[in-house]
Amino acid sequence: MTIEAHGPVAVATTRKAAPWVFYLCLGLLGLAVVAAVLADWLAPYDPSATDFSALYQQPSAAHWFGTDQLGRDILSRVIHGARPSLLGAIALLAFATAVGVLIGTVAAWKRGWVDTLLARVTDVMFAFPGLLFVVLVIAVFDRGPATAVIGMGLAFAPVIAKFTRSIALEEMARPYVDAYRLQGVGSVELCVRCVLPNLFPTLIGYLVVLFGEGLMSLAALNFLGFGAQPPSSEWGLMVQEGRGGVIQGIVGPALIPGLVIAVVVVATNVVGVRLSDKLAVKA
Amino acid sequence: MNDVVRVDGLRKAFDATRRSPGIVAVENLSFRLGKADAIGVVGESGSGKSTLARMLVGLTRPDAGTIEFDGRVREWRERGRVARLRRAKEVQMVFQDPYGSLDRRLTVEVALRDVLRRHQVDSSAADARIAELMDSVGLESRLLASRPHQLSGGQRQRVAIAKALAVEPAVLVLDEVTSALDVSVQAQILALLTDIRARTGVSLIFVSHDLAVVGKVTDSILVMYRGQAVEQGPTSDVLRRPQHPYTEMLLSSAPGPGWRPERVAELRAAFAVAHDQ
Repeated sequence: MTIEAHGPVAVATTRKAAPWVFYLCLGLLGLAVVAAVLADWLAPYDPSATDFSALYQQPSAAHWFGTDQLGRDILSRVIHGARPSLLGAIALLAFATAVGVLIGTVAAWKRGWVDTLLARVTDVMFAFPGLLFVVLVIAVFDRGPATAVIGMGLAFAPVIAKFTRSIALEEMARPYVDAYRLQGVGSVELCVRCVLPNLFPTLIGYLVVLFGEGLMSLAALNFLGFGAQPPSSEWGLMVQEGRGGVIQGIVGPALIPGLVIAVVVVATNVVGVRLSDKLAVKA
Repeated sequence: MNDVVRVDGLRKAFDATRRSPGIVAVENLSFRLGKADAIGVVGESGSGKSTLARMLVGLTRPDAGTIEFDGRVREWRERGRVARLRRAKEVQMVFQDPYGSLDRRLTVEVALRDVLRRHQVDSSAADARIAELMDSVGLESRLLASRPHQLSGGQRQRVAIAKALAVEPAVLVLDEVTSALDVSVQAQILALLTDIRARTGVSLIFVSHDLAVVGKVTDSILVMYRGQAVEQGPTSDVLRRPQHPYTEMLLSSAPGPGWRPERVAELRAAFAVAHDQ
């Protein structure tokens, strides 16, 4: 199965992976979640504790991933960064889903001018680079994690709206929807109680793939300094702070959080595709 | 005699604009249906029979004409829960596609209970009613816990019939209900519907392309061609002495004893001439 996410972010096309790849990815995702939940117990050091006697250390037994420009332990920072990074992506997706599913369902249900209006609005949003849109939102409101999440969520919503609309239209053409109508089910109940629950399996698989995109977009935003602020160890921010060392040939502080982002994004894509296949209930 | 259904001058055109009349799906169609009677609406694809079925149940709004159930004219402007539930009791429909006409998420029991709850059957009475419905469509009660994908086509169609009957409608529209089923299951479903009609007094409207199938279970037949009723009368008369060349053509299109393909072509040509005149 192929899922393509056209939108403010890159196109993600994923093939079905071999079982062991799926379990490896599931394990890596699990690891990220465990890190986010148990950061205080897992991290060997305080993520903000500076040590000016140990700047830019190479990986060693004391510091597995080395230290950054302030002598902070990179492993501890990566572990502590899991929480803001993952929570940010979850919040972003939750917000975008609430807005997108609402718009998509209403468009599919009402058709006519409502559908056309919503299609044009989402088209305009599509034409606008997502990142630029978020920067605008941040320019108007305050910079910070919440603004970044809401701005990015608004940029993601049209993608989800389009997707929801197309699967909702297909679903509403099925005879069981007519059968519900004939039983006397009203339009709102029909959408909310009868059609939407049947969309969830398809939608959830798609959202898991979008989660990777969301994580990456949010990291990019944080890298640009529009979201999380120091001393947070959000992964995108860590890449940005580690940038200075790259010029001096010290790539670790920027590369390691970057790799972590890449691994989590790839893992969610693999898991998401498998999940959407599994959830697609036989009709 | 008191008619349960009276249809007068029904008309529906699709994609009509100011400049073009559009595609006329149903034109000036009228018929009557008495209590516990069964009528067959027969025609080839595109004859307008499915549009007629959808108009009867209220899924498609006619451009002109009236539909009466038990002397009450259907009002299209009427909205709200009370009107919806009353309409549901007037007429129900079973669809052609047994794979798509059930909500794949719900077990048979949940689906039936949902219908009963909507029509204010309290939960203690619902158990008995569900058992009764399952029995009347010939399904074992162990299938109550099954979801649609665990059932065969025939079983699903029985569930769809049970769901329609749960509302206790006066009229049941059956849109090609047996087309997707194999022949032995077809016969079972037809026998079941005849039995249900005898027991409950529900009036049946069989919409089908298959004159042979409809002929077995109806009292009267309405033959549709290009949106119009070209022949209408008691089933035995229509089958034995078809008045319209199109009906004759439908009759001889069905492969049976003495069937010859060239005869169909002959009739088709003869019919085309008759129709153009």
